[in-house]
Amino acid sequence: MSSHREAPEISKDPVADSTDVYAFVSPDKPGTVTLIANYIPLQEPAGGPNFYEFGDDVLYEIHVDNDGDGKSDITYQFRFETKLTTPDSFLYNTGPIGSLSDPSWNSKQFYKVTRVDKSGSHVLARKLACPPCNVGVLSTPDYEAKLGRPAVHSLGSHGKVFAGQRAEEFYVDLGSIFDLGNLRPLEQFNVFGKAHGLKSAPGVNASNRLNVHSIALQVPISRLTEKGRPTIGVWTSASRQRARVHAGADTASFVSGPFTQVSRLGNPLFNEVIVPLGDKDHWNRVRPADDKQFAKYVAHPELAGLLPVLYPGAFPHLAALDKARTARADLEAILLTGIPSGIIKGFTNFTGTVQADMLRLNTSIPPTPASSKKFSILGLIGGDPAGFPNGRRVTDDVVTIELRAIAGATVPLVDPKYVVDAVVANVTDGLTGTSVKNQPLTAFPYLGVPYDGYHNPS
Amino acid sequence: MPGHDDTSPPASRAADDRETPHRLSRRSVLRGAAGAGVAGIAATALAGAAVPAFAATARPPAGAARGAESGTTHEDTAEQVVVHVRDARSGEIDVFRGTSQTRVRDPELAARLLRASR
Repeated sequence: MSSHREAPEISKDPVADSTDVYAFVSPDKPGTVTLIANYIPLQEPAGGPNFYEFGDDVLYEIHVDNDGDGKSDITYQFRFETKLTTPDSFLYNTGPIGSLSDPSWNSKQFYKVTRVDKSGSHVLARKLACPPCNVGVLSTPDYEAKLGRPAVHSLGSHGKVFAGQRAEEFYVDLGSIFDLGNLRPLEQFNVFGKAHGLKSAPGVNASNRLNVHSIALQVPISRLTEKGRPTIGVWTSASRQRARVHAGADTASFVSGPFTQVSRLGNPLFNEVIVPLGDKDHWNRVRPADDKQFAKYVAHPELAGLLPVLYPGAFPHLAALDKARTARADLEAILLTGIPSGIIKGFTNFTGTVQADMLRLNTSIPPTPASSKKFSILGLIGGDPAGFPNGRRVTDDVVTIELRAIAGATVPLVDPKYVVDAVVANVTDGLTGTSVKNQPLTAFPYLGVPYDGYHNPS
Repeated sequence: MPGHDDTSPPASRAADDRETPHRLSRRSVLRGAAGAGVAGIAATALAGAAVPAFAATARPPAGAARGAESGTTHEDTAEQVVVHVRDARSGEIDVFRGTSQTRVRDPELAARLLRASR
């Protein structure tokens, strides 16, 4: 997955597990940037009676670096608080939930938004209501009109915010990819697929009909950028207090100490696919500014070495590149520094020489209308500079983009003589945005209406 | 801005979720641990042996007079304190309270805590 359960420790702590980050110039409000951080992966919509909630004991943050040092210049902090309306009931709701203040909704969650920047810490809003989970037609009728949209809150001149359950819009053929690197459309060429006599098949979206919990902000660009520096670096993190004591039967468990980072996410799939198993937990604990130590994994990605082995004869040029131990300067630029100017005509999202895994968005590049011929879910490699790796839009096919990049599609950016293997143009897990049932919204918070448990019980 | 592992966040990070660390004396550590009734201990360098939690030997004192007896106020003892003996040999101890962390170096205190845990 993009970053779902991507490291051993965080896979056991889903409430703090960041799954995806999106950052894009808002297509319907181009003077703003939308920042989205998703948490709590792979939610079965029918997962009651304790439906999914943010962690009251977790500090969620969205970070913006606007001077290229890999450190947060602007941080939005989110702290949640759960309140029970009827503590003596086991039910999530005792009747239909018709509004965010409906007394029949038992387990409500509220949150505080704080912005921390060079001028200090500023609470932007308190006691904002999350929507309930989408339980089913009886419990949460007319979900989006009565519960979803009302949970979009104004932050005045700071924009707007939403925090709550949404449909998972990230699409990936997980069942195939983690089965020895199989890509269903190409499985007849996979060394193991060939042995099993498999034929080319369409992809299957493993995350379809699942939900996530999203924290979304829409912020005026002017509140995020420094003058003359339109490119920002974005990532999210989740932190927990250092000590937790399960004190026994006579004392409630408690937490203590300062918050320490347990999860983070910038570029999709970075920790998942680039960082080896033995370093993943460590990666989750450090800041982007300290990512130089992981640059070796970007320069020599394990997957680039595996592709020629898994698909014998399909990647001869990539195999030669691997054999020569050529450092992948193309991937280092895309993932760690941004692409300098002069490499792709009219485009840059370079933030400087500090190597840091951040989602880099050049806010001066206008959004590409979805109706435009220029719009491509393959983003920059599809000729659309408003898409990944220039930030990331909800529908961008980051799996295919990164697979192709690792397979050599972006090597010519740094070595014009390199000939990309012909098969690379066909490398895909076979999915597109249409592989998602609940489509994204056209307005903030953009992620689709969460799937309800009644219609999506398994 | 610093990361989340900072034990002494600078002013620019002084969000309400991160508090400035307190300075705790050895005496206040022991008072806090005893008054709160629960302290966790983990030794990382004492012959490689894990040390059991202090909780079992530090039951909450009966009655409300304990704070007064030990010279602390109710406010001092209302918040629970967690003590982590990082390195018993050097006496490096972390004290967690609220959202603060204080690191003290006190071999004698570390030794006393370890003895209390046995």
